Formats: sequence, C-alpha cells, structure tokens
Amino acid sequence: MFSYCWFILISPLAGFVLLSWFGNGMSRQRAGFLGCASVGISFLITLIALTSFLLGGENEKGGISTLYNWVTAGSFSLNMSILVDPLSVFMLLIITGVGFVIHVYSIGYMEKDPEFSRFFSYLNFFIFSMSLLVLAADFFFLIVGWALVGLASYLLIGFWKEKTSAVLAARKAFVMNVIGDVGMVIAAFIIFDHLGTLSFLEVFAAAKTTFRPNDDTILLITVFLLVGAFAKSAQIPLHTWLADAMEGPTPVSALIHAATMVTAGVYLIARCHVLYELAPFTMYLIATVGVVTAIFAGSMAMVQYDIKRVIAYSTMSQLGFMFLAVGLGMYSIAMFHLMTHAFFKALLFLSAGSVIHGLNEEQDIRKMGGLRHSMPITHITFLIGSLALAGFPLTSGFFSKEAILINSYHADMGNIVFWAMAILGAIMTGFYIFRVYFYAFSGQPRTDVTAHESPLIMIAPLGLLAFLSLTAGFGGGMIDDFLVNYFGTHMSHPDDVLLETIGLSAGLIGIVGAVGFYMTGKDRLEFAKQILAPLYDLLFNKYYIDEIYDFLIVKPTRATGAFLEKRAERLGIDFAVDQVGSQVREVSRLISLWQSGSVRLYAFNMIVGVVTILMFVVFL
Amino acid sequence: MGHQFVLLISATIFCVGAAGFLIRKNPLIMFMSVELMLNSVNFLLIGFSSFQKSMDGQIFALMIMTVAAAEVVVGLAIILTIFRTRHDMDVDHINTLKG
Repeated sequence: MFSYCWFILISPLAGFVLLSWFGNGMSRQRAGFLGCASVGISFLITLIALTSFLLGGENEKGGISTLYNWVTAGSFSLNMSILVDPLSVFMLLIITGVGFVIHVYSIGYMEKDPEFSRFFSYLNFFIFSMSLLVLAADFFFLIVGWALVGLASYLLIGFWKEKTSAVLAARKAFVMNVIGDVGMVIAAFIIFDHLGTLSFLEVFAAAKTTFRPNDDTILLITVFLLVGAFAKSAQIPLHTWLADAMEGPTPVSALIHAATMVTAGVYLIARCHVLYELAPFTMYLIATVGVVTAIFAGSMAMVQYDIKRVIAYSTMSQLGFMFLAVGLGMYSIAMFHLMTHAFFKALLFLSAGSVIHGLNEEQDIRKMGGLRHSMPITHITFLIGSLALAGFPLTSGFFSKEAILINSYHADMGNIVFWAMAILGAIMTGFYIFRVYFYAFSGQPRTDVTAHESPLIMIAPLGLLAFLSLTAGFGGGMIDDFLVNYFGTHMSHPDDVLLETIGLSAGLIGIVGAVGFYMTGKDRLEFAKQILAPLYDLLFNKYYIDEIYDFLIVKPTRATGAFLEKRAERLGIDFAVDQVGSQVREVSRLISLWQSGSVRLYAFNMIVGVVTILMFVVFL
Repeated sequence: MGHQFVLLISATIFCVGAAGFLIRKNPLIMFMSVELMLNSVNFLLIGFSSFQKSMDGQIFALMIMTVAAAEVVVGLAIILTIFRTRHDMDVDHINTLKG
C-alpha cells in the first residue's frame, strides 16, 4: 500500500544528489529545470495519493508502507517505513505544491547568482527533508527529518556566505533549532522508556491505555515535544532566530521561513494530538504561548523598516494563531490556517522578493514608494496577499482566521482573554501589513532607483499564489472532511453574529489605522512616535530580547569560558603539564651528571662498587 | 710458598693494575694495567691449581689469556682509530658521551 509514495522522497533526493555532484557543469536552464522537475514529480505523486484517498480506493485512514526492517536490537525494532494518511498528504500538498511554485520563482530570482545550481541543490534537499519529516511513521524518522530541515535552513540562510550577517544568522538559527532537536530527542527517549515503541500508531494506541490525563510522564513528553515545536516554529521564547533568518535569499524565506518548515511545530502537535489531549495542561500552555506570540510578534512587526522582517514577524504572529488553534483542540482549523497562510505568506514574500529584485536589493521600506506605477503586477499580488493576511472578507485568510477567532471563545478551553488577545493580534495584522503596503506602493518614489517589473518566470508564480490566496478559503469544508479521518473531530462553526462581526472588523480596523497613519501625511506619524517614544523604542528593539539573551546566556557563557581559560586552563591544566615536563627534565639533568664522560671515573666507580659488594659478601 | 704468599702477590699486582688504570691518562698504559689485573687473577688461578693438584685452574688461565689477546686486538684497533682521528691520546679529553 502506498509504496509509490516513496518516490515523493526519492525524487528531490535524486535532484539534490545530481545537482550537487554535477551542478557546476550544468547550464542554468538545465540545473533550474532539474531542480523544479524533481519537486514537480513529488507534487504529482502527492496528487495521485490524494486522488486515491478522495476516490475511496484506499483505506480512508491511510496506511504504512514499509521497505524493510532497518534495525533490530533486543525489543527495539525500527522499520524503514512511511505513514501516508490524510494529514501527511495534506502537508505534502503544501510542501511540494508551494515548494514547486517557489522553485520556479527562484529561477528568475537567482538568475544572476554565480552559484545557481548550489542553491537549487539545497532547495531540493530541503524538500526531501521536509517530506521525510511529514511522512515519518515513527518518532525516529520524524527527528531525522526535523534535524535535516534545520540543516537545510542553516545552509540556505547562510547561502550568501560572503555576507557576515547571513552567516551569523544561519548559526543563530541552527543553534536555536538544535535546542528544539534536543527536546524532541528527550521526548522520544521518555516515550520509548514507557511504551517500548516509537511508531506513531502504536504509541498513540498505547498512550490512551497507559497514561491518565495530566500524568507526570505525559506532561514531560508533551512539554519536551513542545520545545522542539517552539524552536522550529519560532514561538516565545525560542523565536529570535526567525527575524534574523531573513538574511537568506527571499525564495528561501518564502519556502522555509513562511510556508513550510516553520509550520512543522503545528504539524507536530496536530500529529501527536492524541498525546496532547491526555495533557490538558500542556494544551493550555500551547494556546497561551501561541496567543502571546501572536500579539508580541505583531507589535514588533508594526515598527520595523525592513520589508522582509515585517513579514517574518507577521509569520511568527500567524504561527501564534495556529498554536492557539491547536492548543484549543481545533486541529483542522489550525491546518486550514496553516494552508491559507502558506499561500498568502509565500505570496507576500515572493512579492516582496519581486520588489527587492526590482529595486536592486533594497529592503528598507523607507526607500521605497510609488511602486504601484512601476511594478503594477507585483502591486496587485502584494495587495491580494496583504488583504488575505489581514483577513479581508472573502479572501482565504478571512475564513481561516475568523474560525480561529470565534473558536478561541467558543472552544471548550476557550475564554474571553484568548479571544480578546487574538482580536488584538488581528488588528495589528491589518495595521502592520498595510503600513508596508502604503510605504512601498503608494505615494511617490523616495529614491532615484528606477524600479522595473520582474520577468514572467517570477510573475507567473505570484499570479498562481494570488489566485490560491483569494480562493483557498472556500475549500475549508473539503479540508475538514478530509482531515476528520485523522483528527476524528470536525471544525466547529459556532453561530455568534456578534463575535463574527467583531472578528471581521478587527482586520479592517487595522487597515483603517494604517490608512490613517500612512496615507494622510507624516505629521500624525511623527506626533505618535513622540508621545509613544518609550513604547516605540521597545518595539523597534524587539523588546530587547536579543540583548536579554545576550546578557543572560551568551555573556555569562563567554565570561565563564574566559575565566576558565585564564584560571583553570592556564593555572591548572597548563601548569600541571608544564610541571611534569620540567620536573622530568630536572631529574634527568641530575642523573646525567653521573655520565661525566671520564673513563677513569667510571672505572673507579666500578671498583668501589665491586669492593662494596665483596665487603657485604665477606663480612655480613 | 704458602697460600698467603700467592694471595698477597696476586692482590698486590691487581692493586697495581687497578691503580695504574685509574691514575694514568695514556690509553696504552691503561691497557697494560688491565692486562696486569687479568694476569694477577691468572696467577691466583695457577697457584691454587697447583695447591689442589687440579688442572682446572690452569685451563682457566689459558682461556683468560686467549680472551685477553682477542680483547687487545679490538682495543688496540680502537685506540689506533681514535689517535688517527683526534691526534690526541688523553682519555680525559675523550668525553663526548658526557651527559
């Protein structure tokens, strides 16, 4: 069953291997074609799997395809197997589908880059790792995929390796992600210790009978898994790497740091929802962190000037909404928002990439302006992305976000605080994205650089994503029917006209706020900046979180290192080693005094010796 | 001749040889001192051999003389080589193995 799904993994892996071995000798067209084709094949196979589910040809709960038994050690056995079920197919559709579109876009975006084929080999490697992550049938391969996407992210953030800031950002992202990986590994240890297996289906079946709700063990497992989820999805307190990750090429930001990899945390919790339902406390924690991150990141996005950073904070904020949804047990809604977010956020990033490309690598929105004339198509697509992000009625973001907002009050664990914070996050969303929109596209150009519209190969993906951003919201029911086979529960649609109206207007209020500040002249803006100066500084400096981490972790670690280097290393270890050396030398020098080189002295000693021995023999 | 006489002569010759070896600086003389010490032992062996009416000691003496001859051959060759290379026969100056 589903053995053909292995080609979803093999195809991008083959693309990665071919591009990294033979990429240098390839022409750009060929390397680009190979990179796109390998992902395209994966997408087609995913479509086949989807069709077989929809036509009912397969068991609707999916199944496991095993290649062979890989390791057997005592009671532990690990199969080379993948789990193809509605959830993994749903994720794969996003990964390979959006991934394919972004691959095509990259051909245009990276056309002048001297290391074109290396870029595509990394991209293919990422698609392979991410597919492995979602296809894994057990915690072991989940962690392998988890770590490999972290590596792919590292390689792609630091792709422009001559840029110091990019290399530093890559390092930061990697370290943060490894913290998460460690959490995952510990969780897997605890699971194996208590349940004796790592396979998802067996673990979930056994957990229901083994653990009581809010058991210590199940809390430990879920919290350690959560560390991995928070690190990967850039939630507080492991969020600082995502904004820095914008140093990478823009298609990477769109693919990895918006549409796919950062959603892995949401996927993980949805995948393990059986475990989390046994730990209501952790669920509550997830929802809280999610909603706090949503407004926390949203507030930072309101004052940043780098177009990509704004969108990155927006990604964190939207991920916060997804975590809120899974935390409240609304898995299908979270996945729905994950999908619509993948579309409109990839669209926003790629449109921003088009702007950056058109302005010769300018990312500061203060130096943009009036682009609606010089880049008409990008203008339209960015506007569509912004509307979808802000939740403008009838765009895709409207449906998914509205569902989260209303359920944050009406879900079993929902309450008025979650709802109010989520509404606040939604207002911020409308505000910050239209702030960027007005800065970049309205008014007059602020620099002499004449912007130019991007080539067709970049515009076409934008058009496709714009179409999806507008229409994907109508697929909510279908997605619900499809995913119910995994989650077992339907999306709930509470009827509450009042909350719906408030939720609907939240995004609009944000948009109107942005219009008020940024369309009607600068005076009001400067005035607001002055009276809110301390708050503004706090937000602009990202709540000083980086500085706090620097002060609390990096500096003490460095100081300890310096102290140990000076005290323990120099005075302790070095001294001991040196002493051993010099003492041996000193003793040797004393002994070597006997080696006078004088033959007669030797003879004398010999005689004295013999005589002494004789005396002993004779007189004792 | 009694036992004491043989022992006394032998000890005297041995001490002369040992003293000569320690005191003199010329390797040739030192060599001769070594021969003296060897021969004092030979004298002892032969003396006691005749006291005990046994030929063992005399055979030992012959053996020692043979070994001494072989030793002299090697030793003289070394001394000759040292002289050829250094033109200096003072053993106190030959101290390159000093620690």
